[in-house]
Amino acid sequence: MKWLKSRKGQQTVIIISFITVPLLLLAIFTYLPFAQMVQFSFYKMKYLTPPDKRVFVGWKNYIDVFTRDDCFKALKLSFYYCAGALFQLALALFLATILSFGVKGGNIFKGMMFFPYLISGIAIGFIFKFFYTRGFVLDSILGIIGVNKDILPYWLKDQSVNNWSLVATSVWRYFGQNMVLFIGAIMSVDAELYEAASLDGANRFQQFFHIILPSIKTIVTLNVILSITGSLSAFEPPFVITGGANGTGTYFVIMNEIAHVTQKVGLASAMAVVLLVIIFIVTILQKLFFKYVFREADA
Amino acid sequence: MKLKRALAVTLITIMAAGAVACGETTVSGSGQETGTAPQAEDEQVATADAPVSDAEGVKPYADIVLGEDFTDLNTEISFFSNRTDLDSEDYGGVTWKEYIEAFNEVYPDITVNVITDTNYAEDAKTHLQSGDYETVILIPAIDKADLSSYFESFGTLDVMNGQINYADHWEYQGEVYGVPSTATAQGIVYNKRVFEEAGVTELPKTPEDFIAALKKIKEHDASIIPLYTNYAAGWTMGSWDDYTGISATGDVNYTNGTLLHEKDPFRDYGDSTHPYAVYKILYDAVAQGLTEDDYSTTDWEGCKGMINRGEIGCMVLGSWAYPQMEAAGDNAADIGYMPFPVTVNGKQYALAGPDYCYGINKNASDDEKQAGIIFVKWMTEQSGFVYNEDGLPIKAGSTETKLSFDNVEFLQEAPAAEGEEDLLNELNSESELNYRAGGDRRIQLIIEHASMGDMEFDDIMNEWNEKWTQAQEALGVSVNE
Repeated sequence: MKWLKSRKGQQTVIIISFITVPLLLLAIFTYLPFAQMVQFSFYKMKYLTPPDKRVFVGWKNYIDVFTRDDCFKALKLSFYYCAGALFQLALALFLATILSFGVKGGNIFKGMMFFPYLISGIAIGFIFKFFYTRGFVLDSILGIIGVNKDILPYWLKDQSVNNWSLVATSVWRYFGQNMVLFIGAIMSVDAELYEAASLDGANRFQQFFHIILPSIKTIVTLNVILSITGSLSAFEPPFVITGGANGTGTYFVIMNEIAHVTQKVGLASAMAVVLLVIIFIVTILQKLFFKYVFREADA
Repeated sequence: MKLKRALAVTLITIMAAGAVACGETTVSGSGQETGTAPQAEDEQVATADAPVSDAEGVKPYADIVLGEDFTDLNTEISFFSNRTDLDSEDYGGVTWKEYIEAFNEVYPDITVNVITDTNYAEDAKTHLQSGDYETVILIPAIDKADLSSYFESFGTLDVMNGQINYADHWEYQGEVYGVPSTATAQGIVYNKRVFEEAGVTELPKTPEDFIAALKKIKEHDASIIPLYTNYAAGWTMGSWDDYTGISATGDVNYTNGTLLHEKDPFRDYGDSTHPYAVYKILYDAVAQGLTEDDYSTTDWEGCKGMINRGEIGCMVLGSWAYPQMEAAGDNAADIGYMPFPVTVNGKQYALAGPDYCYGINKNASDDEKQAGIIFVKWMTEQSGFVYNEDGLPIKAGSTETKLSFDNVEFLQEAPAAEGEEDLLNELNSESELNYRAGGDRRIQLIIEHASMGDMEFDDIMNEWNEKWTQAQEALGVSVNE
């Protein structure tokens, strides 16, 4: 009892009581369901199949994931989102650099560009459905600046452009958030470095590549990893805007369809596990890549 | 220190509460606005013995002569309904207030209190469970075995069959406990004015005539969309499956029986019937440019006004959609409803079924029960409710309906054979076709292939046949050659 009243005891009590709740929630709502999902992936079952009627099928679901043509075809769509994510990061970094050099009305720009991130994904779905409808917002705007209507594609119907249309909504939504993170990181760079560099005759580009980029590489790496894993698991834009129809069904959309419409829960669980492994691999590869790229800065 | 500790505990509690609350968010399902009647569920509302009620002192439904019997009956009854929209003064049709006023002209001393509820399906069950429920209540999804513990019988099935259609919907051991408020059918909602102006004088009865009619509309005015697919909404696509059973075969056992054992059910039967013919209508219409320009951006809410204004020729939707299309603008009279254009051996069929059914509270006093039965009979025979709500006739022998379904036989689907209740679900899951079970993507693909021209219709059907056969083999289903 005396120990409990001591400073050390108090500390321990607080630490344990604070850490138990989140850990408990994490275990109950994340790790336990995940373990269950891994277990499901070895069974042939529906959601409502009672446990004693589930059929153990071994690795069959995993073999199916690799042999079915729709699963990995859907993963190819991730390249669209990866390309979009890289463009989005470049754009965000560019704007962040400009805005951090003190632009007139910088805060208003920041706010306006951050705003889309605050809109709910469902609302964005509705906005862009009308935005892309033939003869609606986008077509009208392009018409005003003099683009001939006849050469415009059907933004969501034409399968050669519709994935880009969806990627664009994703970029529009998230670049503001990336930008704000970058600005935060750039702010932490010591301003005296710029002064010293300009005295040495470095121009803005040299300042960016030799001062800013090395200083914020941690946050850049983090954003790249988040963007790439995010694009592997892209779900919201296709699900809300097109319902995954018309060649826009990403891996997640297909997985959702298999799990909830077709009710092949085992197969869908296997798909989820496979995606997790892929994301692990990609993340590790990225880590190695950035280690290689920034090796000089570290030295 | 004490304050700090209290603060810490409070914080933890708040964090925990917050996290739990986050875990509880639920996502509501897709907005399928159909109006089908509840089927008897396995769920037991309550268990009780089923004594066949002796309606002593209460004159049965069949014997009541409206306007003559009991016109001096003085009592007060309540009526629980799902139609909240009829409460509103703005409702396009006849409101509850107007119905009750008309009822009171004949029965001035029966006071009817109408109670409506948006969450009807659930709340009605709660009302029943509490034991204290309204005199007249629309029967929610309960077990048929429980009917007699809650409801007064309207009469035997034989007698009621002479009075109303669909008498067997809430029948148990020969007694009828429910009278349908209205009934819906599967067909096509269309704009009569558009069809007439385009020179389509006779409603098409075969797929070929239907495509020809759509073409006529296109030629008449290229700005009109002959057939609006509602591709983007998704569930509107899946509902094409509903026409492949009764409408395309006239076989009441098709969906729950024949199909399950059929070899290659999606093949061409050569006489413009069966599922092949239904899906081919969609493929042909899209391939020949008779649908909307950009299917990927169709707008479900918007289409209602468009068909009302005559910008759309027709849409393939159940008759529950009919009143919605009428109410969406000023041209309610232009909207019509026709059977699906497939003729089987010279005859057209349509899937029809009752909506919610009226039930009479078993625990009410005799006077109240009597008044309730009178009210139900009056609603069915004299109120015009069924006609006003675009339903199919409930009164036996009546032909009063706005649906243009002359010479069309209405059928209801037969349930699956014993031991095969889950077979369709199993086949659906195994084949991933999800026939009549949310297979929206499958129908959407027909439109995509037709539009891009990258897959012939017969190839799509062959692919489905293949999947179906594989599923039949995997599940060991006997197949009729």
